Amino acid sequence: MKQDFIKFPLHLIVHPFDGFWDMKYDGKGKVRVALFILALVVLTVILQNQFAGFLVNYNDPRYLNSLTQLITIVFPFFLWCVSNWAITTLMDGEGKFKEIVMATGYALLPLVLIYVPMTIASRFMVQEETAFYYLFHSISTIWFIGLLFVGTMTVHQYSAFKTIVTMALTVIVMGIIVFLGTLVMSMMQQIIEFIVNIYRELTFRT
Amino acid sequence: MTAKKWFLVVAAASLLFINATPAPAYASSTPYESYNYNYWEEAVPAPAAYVPDRVISGKELGVGDFVEPADMVVDDNGLIHVVDSGNNRIVRIDEKWQVQDIIDGFSNDGKRDGFKNPTGMYVDGDGMMYIADTDNGRVVVLDKDGSLVRFIEKPNSDILASDFKFAPLKVTVDKAKRVFVIAQGMFEGIMQFDPDGEFIGFVGTNKVQRDYTEFFWRLFSTKAQKAQMILFIPTEFSNIDIDAKGFVYATNIDPGSQEPVKRLNPSGEDVLKRYGYFHVKGDILYRLSVGPSKLIDVKVQNDGMYSVLDSNQGKIFTYNDEGDLLYVYGGKSNQAGTFKTPVAIESVGGNHLVLDRGKSNIVAFKPTKFGSKVNEAVMLHHNGEDKQAVPVWEEVLRLNANYDIAYIGIGKSLLMEKRNKEALQYFKLGMDRDGYSVAYKRYRREFMKEHFGNFLSVLVALAASWFAFKLYRAVSRKRKHKLNRPSGSGAQNIGEGKAL
Repeated sequence: MKQDFIKFPLHLIVHPFDGFWDMKYDGKGKVRVALFILALVVLTVILQNQFAGFLVNYNDPRYLNSLTQLITIVFPFFLWCVSNWAITTLMDGEGKFKEIVMATGYALLPLVLIYVPMTIASRFMVQEETAFYYLFHSISTIWFIGLLFVGTMTVHQYSAFKTIVTMALTVIVMGIIVFLGTLVMSMMQQIIEFIVNIYRELTFRT
Repeated sequence: MTAKKWFLVVAAASLLFINATPAPAYASSTPYESYNYNYWEEAVPAPAAYVPDRVISGKELGVGDFVEPADMVVDDNGLIHVVDSGNNRIVRIDEKWQVQDIIDGFSNDGKRDGFKNPTGMYVDGDGMMYIADTDNGRVVVLDKDGSLVRFIEKPNSDILASDFKFAPLKVTVDKAKRVFVIAQGMFEGIMQFDPDGEFIGFVGTNKVQRDYTEFFWRLFSTKAQKAQMILFIPTEFSNIDIDAKGFVYATNIDPGSQEPVKRLNPSGEDVLKRYGYFHVKGDILYRLSVGPSKLIDVKVQNDGMYSVLDSNQGKIFTYNDEGDLLYVYGGKSNQAGTFKTPVAIESVGGNHLVLDRGKSNIVAFKPTKFGSKVNEAVMLHHNGEDKQAVPVWEEVLRLNANYDIAYIGIGKSLLMEKRNKEALQYFKLGMDRDGYSVAYKRYRREFMKEHFGNFLSVLVALAASWFAFKLYRAVSRKRKHKLNRPSGSGAQNIGEGKAL
């Protein structure tokens, strides 16, 4: 338990090459841990939006909605995983869907580790010190992207260049999926409306 | 039976309820809606700051209707000068709305001379009148009795094209008697003349904004096409005024501009303070079909406040010297107290006057309790008497709890009194992050100083306990090691073997 949830993830984020290798080939990664980290990210972002200090918090408190925030994190996460799986299947990637979810989930850990203390620290900052807040935020983002890069590389056994290309393609595929999704939605809407209209016509005839 | 009874009871009760509701209280006394913008860029209803007091036409004054009046100016003695362009005359009215006299001409070398479509005017501290006599192409300078002092005519200068037509529209004069003239088609800026009427140069040119889509198209167009494209020339100024320190306030009607109001220092740089939430440009939100505010007049008042007049929607926006929007009032319609084509705004004795060219009348506005309290607080703050401003701001907040500037004002005063913790709260309510930061910095330092001893003791206690814990662990491990040594080595090996 301690090994799975604490020790291994913390080891992974500082030794990504080792860590992701162990995750894939030694079976040290667990999907439930990845999902747990995802849940933590949602929680920390909600807390940050609500409780970050006045000087760095530009959110309008009247429009903060935890459910919206949940969706804006969980939906892109799975969209990324699905797109990455779709594109790597075509590009000779070795990773299974489970491994992609794990790699992405574990890579999110720095966000949790940095956002929580920075949210607390931001409440005691003055204007000049908020630069540190933004600095640490940037660090966490870069860390996350770096881990995602190494994770993708290790899971699919790609070269560095191929990984970058794959990641770029994944983002494009995400856009295509969203586009197709909205297209299907609007088509369905029209079909339903069409059927309802026919039904109405028939009822009015008789 | 019971059902019927019940029904009757309910009906009677509802009837009672209808009668009990008081008359709707929203019937406002103003023909326009007042609002202000909050931090989140929303127009929030606010109490009216000024209400129409009376509407005066030329006929009521006994001088016949004004015809297309173009400008209005109030001198230091409170005398109102209306530039009645269509009648080629200046009507002088005192504050009791009695016509003092009418200036429709002057003696020029023994001959009678008059105006031709005058559109602008200024009266300086000595009562000298400067009249932009547009169609005659000159500025007429009269002394306070109405006799001619001099003309300012089309200047001869190397920097002016020889075929240009001098048509002055608006005029203002500073303490050193330098004359600032806005002339028709003068894109270079405001024309500046010395006290003798000699042309000095231009001040305050409007910058042309670069349009990148236009630049893109230009890359692909031929020379002939380029020649057909419109030239991008700077917009003209629409009006000018001057404050007590000699800074020129100028407005322009460039629709895309974020800085349609400028405060020009003697070397022509824009030094207007824009510390408010938004740009000093009138309306922040507007319907696309209506378009942004067209600021056509500016009036500097006491204590750094200035009002600008939006001819597009007939609104008056008043700002303080730091660029905070204090209040908005006015509107376009046919009701009394609204405008058709407002052209000039003036202030006299705390009241505002707006000249309406479309209706050929003057609308006088008087401040409400809210408006006068805001003015008072702004005045106190401007003069550095923040402490006295606090009760006034509190009064303002009682009338309008959404008034962010009042929260910030109180916060600033508390900050000066070193009541930092209370100031924090007010700055937060007013969404002033800079003020909040200063207050917090001081509060934090105070808090640290006060509790330094406690901090240190906790720190020492923590360090000591950590040390003790380490020591304890080391000792106990050593003891265990010693105890386990004789028989333990074999067991350890087995354990390691299992793990491997």
